[in-house]
Amino acid sequence: MSDPTAPGPAPATTAAPLLAATDLVKSYGPVKAVQGVTFHCNPGEVLALVGENGAGKSTVAKMLAGAVTPTSGSITVAGEPLASGSVKQSRLSGVRCAFQELALVPDWTVAENLSLPDGAPLRGFSQKKSVAKAKQLLEALHLPQIDPRAAVDTLSLADRQLVEIARALAGDPKLLILDEASSALTPPGVAWLFARIRELTARGGSVIYVSHRLGEIAEIADRGTVLRDGKVAGEFVRGGWTDDELISMMAGREAERFFPSPPPRTTDAVALSVENLRAEGLHGIDLSLGAGEILGIGGLQGHGQAELLRALFGASPAQADSWTVGGRRIRRTTPVRAVANGLGYVPEDRKREGLALEMSVGENLLAPWYRAYQLGGRPRLSRERGWIDGILNALSVRTRGPNELAGSLSGGNQQKLVFGRWMNRDRTVILLHDPTRGIDVRAKQELYGAIVDLAKQGVGILWFSTEVEELVHVCHRVVVLYQGQVADELIDHRLTADNVVGAAVGATGSLAAQTAAAASGAPISSPPNSNVAQEGLVR
Amino acid sequence: MSAISPAPSFATRWWNGTGVVRLRREGAVAPIGAFVVFFVVYVIINPALLTRFQLQTAANLVVPLALVALGQLIIVLVGGIDISIGAIMSLCNVVFAVQLETMPVPVAILLSMGVGLACGLFNGLLVAYGGLPAIAVTLASAFIFGSLAREVLDRPGGGVTKEIYLATSGELLPFVPVALVWLAVVAVLLWLLLQRTALGRHIYGVGSNMESVRAAGLNARLTKLLAFGLAGVITSFGAMMLAASTVTGDPRSGDPYLLSSIAAVALAGAAFTGGRGSIIGTILAACTLGLIGNLLFFAGVNSYWQYVISALIIVAVVGIPVVWKRIAFAARGARS
Repeated sequence: MSDPTAPGPAPATTAAPLLAATDLVKSYGPVKAVQGVTFHCNPGEVLALVGENGAGKSTVAKMLAGAVTPTSGSITVAGEPLASGSVKQSRLSGVRCAFQELALVPDWTVAENLSLPDGAPLRGFSQKKSVAKAKQLLEALHLPQIDPRAAVDTLSLADRQLVEIARALAGDPKLLILDEASSALTPPGVAWLFARIRELTARGGSVIYVSHRLGEIAEIADRGTVLRDGKVAGEFVRGGWTDDELISMMAGREAERFFPSPPPRTTDAVALSVENLRAEGLHGIDLSLGAGEILGIGGLQGHGQAELLRALFGASPAQADSWTVGGRRIRRTTPVRAVANGLGYVPEDRKREGLALEMSVGENLLAPWYRAYQLGGRPRLSRERGWIDGILNALSVRTRGPNELAGSLSGGNQQKLVFGRWMNRDRTVILLHDPTRGIDVRAKQELYGAIVDLAKQGVGILWFSTEVEELVHVCHRVVVLYQGQVADELIDHRLTADNVVGAAVGATGSLAAQTAAAASGAPISSPPNSNVAQEGLVR
Repeated sequence: MSAISPAPSFATRWWNGTGVVRLRREGAVAPIGAFVVFFVVYVIINPALLTRFQLQTAANLVVPLALVALGQLIIVLVGGIDISIGAIMSLCNVVFAVQLETMPVPVAILLSMGVGLACGLFNGLLVAYGGLPAIAVTLASAFIFGSLAREVLDRPGGGVTKEIYLATSGELLPFVPVALVWLAVVAVLLWLLLQRTALGRHIYGVGSNMESVRAAGLNARLTKLLAFGLAGVITSFGAMMLAASTVTGDPRSGDPYLLSSIAAVALAGAAFTGGRGSIIGTILAACTLGLIGNLLFFAGVNSYWQYVISALIIVAVVGIPVVWKRIAFAARGARS
């Protein structure tokens, strides 16, 4: 796995570190997000920054990028103190950041997003030149499939993330910060990213890599710093750690990475079935999901998974020859009818589609269950207190209570809310769109546990994930989509990571095809059609 | 505008040229279509529009509204709304008219522009750097600017002369009203600023997603402030055109332009959350709304119906694309 093209870590005694952060502190009012973090990064090195959600990784990354001013402490880049509190200054001194929460302007084209941040506001701007420049850049970075003239909000999430990374790479940075920048990328996309990182480190640049995916860290990181509760909890070097050790270090307690096994099935009842489902981007899908079954959906982003879930929930128009939910035949559906029929849906973008960030935790949990004539607000919350507390406890949501604003929770806890609203509500089927994207290991395990519990209760789970390991371990069965059709159905001994990836790239079980595709830069992500179907819900 | 450019290479299909795509994205197709339909209906009902006198009158009626609507458009592009735009217009209008009594014309023009700029920057400072909501700030400042206007000149009057009328509202050539020429000059300059400078693209970006613009290392606040200042200056142009074409300064002249400017921006298909809106669409929307009253007069309909008809046009033009999109979406789903 680990590729030795990147120069190993320079001996710490001789080389001056490219980046040295000393005693960084950041407090927001009474809340101390970061309290005294010290670390350094040598030239040509990839430093991983790991920790649970809320451990302060993103705050540290933002301080390095200049988006946040440290309360105290110092950052030096190549010996020069970093002018903090200005993204522009940071950029000028060669520090570039790709944020998890995408920092692309949705109404600008790709070319505008790539070129506008550089240069004075009163300079002339030529669409033609910027498109030509963007095209050149995207080709140099092996991303020819992205149209520089497309507005960013017409791209799929994965493509947007690629553009964001491309923008950070464009200035040939001395220090590149990737803050969860791979969270929406599929395996070929990650391979693409690693190739770029190796190019950069070979030229002597450094990378700070923030990620929850331990597999990626094992492959790319030379060294790592573990953060917990805003402090440095430990450090590690390449090869000198195991997943379990790292997870224990992050959690501050004995913890290990484990995937629960799917519960044994007790019934043959069918929770959901479709025959020849047709919709935008789907070409005749046959699917049958049993009660209490966890059915994984695999495949590369943009091959119809998002469309499938949306079509089943009625969020985009679809037709099928036969379509049953919980044994009842239906002809077509809308989100309102789908909920009435016993479906639940955890959408792709928790901030945009999943939550009302300005409303409270309790109200967000209750969102699908409000009727216009019912009580709302605090009286309703106190009446439903038992259910709400049960969900918050079952998922270990870290919150100050049901009245806290959903927007103030960390990403993993927000995701738990989107998921938790469907728990213990007599659902027949729950549709999950990559619920573990960009959340930390502990939160992931809590979600796995909840998913398995639901299956035990007889709920059918349809689960699309970009993380192949999850599908392989937690699902009874995995269906892999390729170009809007079912490419393969994997069960029992055939259910392996290699088979999932192989089917996802349209080959039959060969990793070689995947890496070859990634190297040639071809199907890292697919055409932007995957986003067309989203308009229905958003508008 | 740039919609014309892709014509030579028909191989790339002109309706997918970048200019046309941008017009579609900015919502300008519907108002352009609406204007064409409206214009044809108007000429059928009242062919005399195409005479020199009526063309000139219509231009003088429409141009101040178009300019104020452009000012409103810039505020809307950065995600705000300007309730004080009518009051700014009144203030610039009376400043222009009063200064003409004593000062040379260029000084009066500069003073009026300066007042517009100052009003815009006042709003902009509170919105961009004070972090207050634009609707509250501009509502409050509307009262301030309105009072100031009455303080400057408490009844219609001022020193607008016939020469100024001819220079702004006369005819440059037969069938070419000067007012339209001035509008075209402002529109082209504004278009160059918005589409061909980085600042202009920043204005669109700030409205689209302010946080992203800041995260990219751009000065989002300054951009917002400049947008408000720019809108103030353009509003002052509208005020001066109005003063000149009516040959008076009037401290209440701007009041009806508040709602009309918002209506024109809505009709132009701009997004009130910011980031989308086109200049050509706004100008044609203003022309449509500005001429409805005239049309009803010639059609012999009671002019009170003007507002109902305006409302219907807005709902239809804004609504048809939405309905169309939904139908097309459903049709695509059924077909596949």
